[in-house]
Amino acid sequence: MAAPRSCALWSYCGRRWSRLMRCCELPGLRSSWPGGPLGARQLSQEKQATETHFGFETVSEEEKGGKVYHVFESVAKKYDVMNDMMSLGIHRIWKDLLLWKMRPFPGTQLLDVAGGTGDIAFRFLNYVQAQHKGKQKRQLRAQQNLSWEEIAKKYQNEEDPLGGSRVVVCDINKEMLKIGKQKAHARGYKAGLAWVLGDAEELPFDDDKFDVYTIAFGIRNVTHIDQALQEAHRVLKPGGRFLCLEFSQVNNPLISRLYDLYSFQVIPVLGEVIAGDWKSYQYLVESIRQFPPQEEFKEMIEDAGFEKVTYESLTSGIVAIHSGFKL
Amino acid sequence: MATLLRAALRPLRPPPGHRGPAADVLLRGVRHGAGQLYPEHIPTSPLQKVLLAAGSAGMALYNPYRHDMVAVLGETTGLRALKVLRDQMKRDPEGAQILQERPRILLSTLDLDKLRSLPEGSLGQEYLRFLDVNRVSPDTRAPTRFVDDEELAYVIQRYREVHDMLHTLLGMPTNMLGEIVVKWFEAVQTGLPMCILGALFGPIRLHTQGLQVLVSELIPWAVQNGRRAPCVFNLYYERRWEQPLRALREELGITDPPMLVRALA
Repeated sequence: MAAPRSCALWSYCGRRWSRLMRCCELPGLRSSWPGGPLGARQLSQEKQATETHFGFETVSEEEKGGKVYHVFESVAKKYDVMNDMMSLGIHRIWKDLLLWKMRPFPGTQLLDVAGGTGDIAFRFLNYVQAQHKGKQKRQLRAQQNLSWEEIAKKYQNEEDPLGGSRVVVCDINKEMLKIGKQKAHARGYKAGLAWVLGDAEELPFDDDKFDVYTIAFGIRNVTHIDQALQEAHRVLKPGGRFLCLEFSQVNNPLISRLYDLYSFQVIPVLGEVIAGDWKSYQYLVESIRQFPPQEEFKEMIEDAGFEKVTYESLTSGIVAIHSGFKL
Repeated sequence: MATLLRAALRPLRPPPGHRGPAADVLLRGVRHGAGQLYPEHIPTSPLQKVLLAAGSAGMALYNPYRHDMVAVLGETTGLRALKVLRDQMKRDPEGAQILQERPRILLSTLDLDKLRSLPEGSLGQEYLRFLDVNRVSPDTRAPTRFVDDEELAYVIQRYREVHDMLHTLLGMPTNMLGEIVVKWFEAVQTGLPMCILGALFGPIRLHTQGLQVLVSELIPWAVQNGRRAPCVFNLYYERRWEQPLRALREELGITDPPMLVRALA
């Protein structure tokens, strides 16, 4: 349980720091340095932990969470349209490939973090449903001896069409979840779907709960990626799989230049014309550049405790699927 | 001394291995804060301006309620016309004062009580009535973002804020028909490509009865008045609230509209 422990340590440091400052204020030494090795270490820790990147801007860590929240709050309504426009529909293929790599079997418990508008969750449900139907067809064709209970249940339509699979969509942003729920309602997804408001750095789930953890195009927006990875490790069952679909570094120099040109020249314009929001899309393309490349991210995943970590670059490295197992 | 100077100048030189500023800007866009000439300014490359102009023109036609797209079209295409307008303003004494003092027509700068207390028929009263009847507010104008010159950014902002004044001067409501008439007037006065495009393509979305009236009576009237009147952006409206509207119209040579546009729309 790394996250709560570090939070406790941090608040402890904060309390000590404020107490020291108060002691210093009383004799009138407002700006005096508390001195001593502990004081100096605390200050340097605070300084290091305070600043981070928001796209190409530098902001404090407290600010980043709020700013990212506002970005997704304003893009939520046009999120899917913009995804199609920006990637020319290719994002659908990427997400399909993620599911294909996952190969869930009926009975899988999936946690989709930063899953906002539900793209991965819906694909998972479709896949599992198709699998289950296929299995039933094969059973009937082979004329296996179905028990009377199973036949009765089938006639009564009581059987779970998903075969016990469940997906929990977790997102920090209320607007994105709202859009996701609307989509689910419109497309008729009801069973096996749960929507939870939660922070990837501090998931509201118990240990060892899920078979698969996915995060698609979400982890680069998290302030502390290592904490998110540790949380992923915590909530997965032993034998569980971590899958991350994220923009990554392009390996071909020519394509890299074209991609840069497209990202920085065209995408903010598309954002302005279609969604009326230049700055959010500027942030999105800049945040892609700030995300570590494939190898570095692989090492970060290994640091969190995952084993057999591999990655697969798609579309010349524009996106990459990282996979790791909790063993 | 020399070492201090060198140390001071070092951050100005680009680091070695740098691709070259032009190529970098083209690929990666301008860095945050760099080249920002006024708050809300977003520096854009020529390619981005072309894409923005094309995209905003298309979107404005597709969805006429996207007023922000019309604004963006004006900003990205209007550089030359804005320069001409700015020079016109500089030559006129009242216009030069506007450029220097940079007044803004916003709810925070308008003294609504004072305007309401003005006599009937004055510019202030008529402007307030226009705002009330059409249920618009001067604060809904988007700030300028894509103009790469700070003075021209003010000029286009002033143009947007004076637009409501023109509605009052011409007696046009804010429905589609009224807006097109005002656009024709503005097109003749300013030569802004956005006004010209709006004037030419706006009527596409009108029904035939409105179109007939527009072409036969309203457009000739608007063009005539636009040609006859001096540059309406040289007027310091904030100092003319007490002036009777009729007198102002006479001063500018604007005749009464040929018919009540509200009845038709």
